[in-house]
Amino acid sequence: MASTPRRLKRSGLTMPVVTPRFINNAWHRGCDYINMDLEDSVPPRLKDVARNLIRESISVVNKGGADAVCRINHDLMEADLNAVVWPGLMMVNYPKAEYAHEIQRMDGIITRLEAERGIRPGTVEIGANIETAVGVANAYEIVTASSRVMDFGGASGYDMSRDLGVEMFVGFDQFVYGKGEVELAARAAGREPHAVPFTPNITGSVSDPDRAFAEADAARKCGFRIGGGLHPAVVEPQIRGFAATDDEISDAMWVLQEYRKLDRTGETWVQVDVASVDREGSPRPMAADSYLGRHRVIDRYEAARAEELLQWRSRCQERDQEKAEAVARVNAAEAAESPG
Amino acid sequence: MSILVRRSNLVVPAVQSRMVVRSWTRHADAVTVDLQDGTPAAELARVRETLRQSVALAGKGGAQVFVRVNADFVYADSNAAIGPALTGIVLPGVEAADQVAEADAILADLEKIHGVTRGSLEITPSIETAAGIWHIREIITASPRVRQVGIDEAALAASLGITQSSEHDAFVFARGRLCIEATAAGVQPIAVADPMGVQTGQISHETMTQIATDSRNLGFKGMVCGHPSWIDPVNEAYTPTESLVDYYTQVREVFAQALAAGTAAAPFAGRMIDVPVDEWAKDVLAMSAACAARDAEKQAALAAAEASFDSSIPVIG
Amino acid sequence: MTGSPKVRRSWLLCPVSHSERVSDAPAAGGDVIVLDLAEFVAEAGKPAARESLSELLVPAKSTGAEVFVQIDPELMLADLSASVWPGLDGIVVSRAETPEQVAAIDAIISDLESRRGMLPGSVELVLCLETALGNHNGYEVATASSRTWGLSLGRADLVMDLRPEPSGEIHLMQYLMQRLVTLASATGTVPLGAWWRFPDRGLLATPANTLAAAQRGRAIGFHGSFCVQPDQVPPLNAGFTPPESDVAAAHGLCEAYASATASGTGAVVLVDDRVLTPDIVRQAANTIALAEACSTRDRSKAAAVEGIPMPVP
Repeated sequence: MASTPRRLKRSGLTMPVVTPRFINNAWHRGCDYINMDLEDSVPPRLKDVARNLIRESISVVNKGGADAVCRINHDLMEADLNAVVWPGLMMVNYPKAEYAHEIQRMDGIITRLEAERGIRPGTVEIGANIETAVGVANAYEIVTASSRVMDFGGASGYDMSRDLGVEMFVGFDQFVYGKGEVELAARAAGREPHAVPFTPNITGSVSDPDRAFAEADAARKCGFRIGGGLHPAVVEPQIRGFAATDDEISDAMWVLQEYRKLDRTGETWVQVDVASVDREGSPRPMAADSYLGRHRVIDRYEAARAEELLQWRSRCQERDQEKAEAVARVNAAEAAESPG
Repeated sequence: MSILVRRSNLVVPAVQSRMVVRSWTRHADAVTVDLQDGTPAAELARVRETLRQSVALAGKGGAQVFVRVNADFVYADSNAAIGPALTGIVLPGVEAADQVAEADAILADLEKIHGVTRGSLEITPSIETAAGIWHIREIITASPRVRQVGIDEAALAASLGITQSSEHDAFVFARGRLCIEATAAGVQPIAVADPMGVQTGQISHETMTQIATDSRNLGFKGMVCGHPSWIDPVNEAYTPTESLVDYYTQVREVFAQALAAGTAAAPFAGRMIDVPVDEWAKDVLAMSAACAARDAEKQAALAAAEASFDSSIPVIG
Repeated sequence: MTGSPKVRRSWLLCPVSHSERVSDAPAAGGDVIVLDLAEFVAEAGKPAARESLSELLVPAKSTGAEVFVQIDPELMLADLSASVWPGLDGIVVSRAETPEQVAAIDAIISDLESRRGMLPGSVELVLCLETALGNHNGYEVATASSRTWGLSLGRADLVMDLRPEPSGEIHLMQYLMQRLVTLASATGTVPLGAWWRFPDRGLLATPANTLAAAQRGRAIGFHGSFCVQPDQVPPLNAGFTPPESDVAAAHGLCEAYASATASGTGAVVLVDDRVLTPDIVRQAANTIALAEACSTRDRSKAAAVEGIPMPVP
């Protein structure tokens, strides 16, 4: 069952923390989170510089209401954690996760840093990304290694491709097994699966808004709730793609209304031909030609989906409101500061 | 670390001496002389008598030579094949780690008896049942002799009792598990050029190139070929193309410039070039060089063999 | 596959609380009737359903079907006590998740078999791996009891909330199906399922779509499937029976191989310049054996229908 995560992660931009232009503009991109990168986008000779930038960058990137996230280096875990676990940080992304002991070690270090730095215990989440065959092979052990692992996915992308020795963007799904194992592990551990349905991509473009929308839309319809990207042009289409439509909301309310009718009938389900339902009424089911199909079954599973969707809609609205207020506060403060 | 280049592996039935005799001319990186399951005992005994010569013959064109032994006669079959020209055995029907461990012990004995470098003979497990797929990790880590592992898809289909079909690929899970577990263990997964056993008759060069390219893009490192005409397209598909080499040469330049300018992420041709892309570019260029070296080695062996070849035996190239 | 396989192509689920569904079920001609206590019986109806169950087992077999009961593992003691009576062929365990749970079910069945004069070990199990944890633990779950005959994903698409992708395939299902087929074969059990595509959902599909789902399912290794509508039974029986063209081709291969080996060309037979391997022949033999088993099963069901007069209303 799709479960709404603690913090919404519909859209997020990953950016090198050493590029001030990206960091300084991040707050008004409208993202749910900003992922400050210490890893692949930072050259080795700048790692120290980058690390020292994180603490003050947290409050720069989150002033527009985005959550601050940091991707650390697999091989520099301890030093990086020391530099990034500060008040305001929501999550640490750990790349190339391969073994449970790595996550257990991370958990221990984060626990100590939370205590030392006055962060409420358990605040900082871990995002564990699977990017190697070894990581896939150990997926369940990794995701269950710490209760902080709230974001778990991967098994595709550049590093995975390199480990398997394959070219990317070949037009068919090359990673069915790895993605399947990782998603199964996440679900078996009761964590939110971080996945998207496969859609062929032979360009590898990171800035195509139409593709970003199509992916988010397909992900939402599949019940997935997590997105992210590299280019500002994909933020708005992702937020839009993850939003439940008015028709879907009306449909969910209709499902719940029909489900309540089953009470005390002794039936557990009923099948409805939506073409025969009054389309003027409210609430009403989606049209027969929608992706939900014509012959709809109403049962406890559909009711649970409908409830989750209504909850998702209100979580999205609250989050959008929260971000809008944060942006307004910043604008007001800047207006007050600027002379006359 | 040197790269193992074993793109094509031609399987020839040991009893078909005409096929064995011609196998060295086919440009395969490896040849497997197959002592097929079900060969009558008398026939098998006859084949064993000339097996060492067959192995030497199959390797004349620079191919590494394997013998696919009978699961019940690992000792006798390996004993008949062992010699300087033998690279290793293909062990059929592996379902559990102890089968590999037993074969390992047998090869160790034979190496001692025949004065072959200890630990040099390889074991390539052939997975033919679901149990083998399920227990793949234990199987391929049971002996350091395992450098490659493959699924015999026709045998797997038979053991599952299913009819192969080109419409519904039944082995996405099996191949994926093989590629992931093998890669995780540092073993090369190899594919079959006749996926699901559904190809009949002659396959065009173009079709086989596509089949081989798709399998390479799943993570396989080479292909078992049931027909000599499949070898050239398979070698081609598993060798980085010129345009790919050009592209990644440029990628490396772009990335080097980006690093010099203080960033490790640079846009290039619509994509983002960062560390993993640059690392992959290095891999592709190294693979390209390794393939060229392997091809030169085979070319030299082929030329030497042809120069000394007895022209009384007809050769179809 | 060794021995003569049990032919269980269609598994018609009937809620025990719905007496007309149960009494109509034999007429559908299924290989197996599954009297359901778990999925389609409302909570309030469960006590009465359990009480009526022992009376339903034998009548359900009037057309030669075998009878299983589907239980809820959270209610295993009550559900099993109501179900394990002479005449029962097996238990379908919904939401099978852990080896401990399966072992507990096995122990309860053993106890009931001995107290109720049933042959020890005669009640078989089909385990529905419907949750992610059940699938993750699949190997341990499948090997926890020697009674386990089959594995199914049950209603995993609903229980795990798997929805259609843009391709029309249900997310993760292809992966889970192939995983289950592998797991079943590795543990010596029989995989049950069909390859449903959107908009067919949770065992509901037209007869035509059911036939296609069964044929696709058979092609990737399934041997039979659950269904909930009587009109889905004939397409499941048909879809899981090897088609005549396959059987004819299999006979042809076997004959070519037999005559070639008899003529002394060794173990190698070339067809279209390819080696006809023992595997291909073995596969052909499998197809022939399965077709024969299906036709035997169909004859035995036909005999049951003729031998027992249909109930007069």
